Amino acid sequence: MGRVHFYLRERLDEVRGRVLYESYEARKLPPWERVGITWLTLFASWLVVSGKFSPPHIVTGALVTLLIAIITRDFLTEDIRQTGHLLSKAAYIFLFLVPQYLFIMAFRLLESNLRVVKNVILMDINPGIVKVKSDLHSNAGLTVLANSITLTPGTLTLDVSKKLGEAYLYIHWIDVEALDQQKAGVKIKGELEEWLKKIFW
Amino acid sequence: MIALLFLLFGLFIMFFGALGLLRFPDVYTRLHATAKCDTGGAISILLALALAADFSLTGKLKFLVIALMIAMINPMVSHAIARAAYKSGIKPKAVVDMYAWDNP
Repeated sequence: MGRVHFYLRERLDEVRGRVLYESYEARKLPPWERVGITWLTLFASWLVVSGKFSPPHIVTGALVTLLIAIITRDFLTEDIRQTGHLLSKAAYIFLFLVPQYLFIMAFRLLESNLRVVKNVILMDINPGIVKVKSDLHSNAGLTVLANSITLTPGTLTLDVSKKLGEAYLYIHWIDVEALDQQKAGVKIKGELEEWLKKIFW
Repeated sequence: MIALLFLLFGLFIMFFGALGLLRFPDVYTRLHATAKCDTGGAISILLALALAADFSLTGKLKFLVIALMIAMINPMVSHAIARAAYKSGIKPKAVVDMYAWDNP
């Protein structure tokens, strides 16, 4: 490294730090944290669906959901980013990110319903299929992103393809406004991807 | 009163969804009408039922569980129908078709 220029050495250090950071973020959670998150989710849904709060019901539900969580710990939580402690992460996700996401998606759904009503009355459609690059890599993140894109106004996800570590979405757009990948991505995804990048990698 | 407003809004959205299913030209644009209007209309009607029914709190929460399930499952099913229609050879009436460029 002695003969490398100063700015080049600085750039190399920056790239190495970024690679270290991203490989740290891409590791899986430890097994007991995966079991914990799955168990919390399953137990909350047990409490809502059963609807009884006497002690035998709660103890039975806790034991059975713990058994199911130990068996199926990889299905739900394989793709969550590894940042911070489990409790702070769970509190941040369930108290801030999920309510904000549900609030935003409720108003986008209302807007898309009214836009379909306008399209049905006026028939001012100009359909086309465009291709958009996504910054997410994980399966769960891509699933949630595709579902949210289907519920936002004027777009419907047709297919997802992963090539060379990059994910592309094919989107049927009812009123094509931009063909360029960057502009179409900004118009279609909006701030949804920024929300999802905080949870999934 | 609020329950009645939600119920009327759901009826309005469902009516225009069915009208879109009749008026739009091909499979993909019809899927636009059904996917969005079914999700929004069903969630609105379920909220009206949860407000109007005289159940306990957990009985009302079950309506919200059904609404969340509809909001998660309906986009997946419309995505599967659109992909199956494309794979079985139905061409879209579109100005640009980048899916056919990449999968000749």
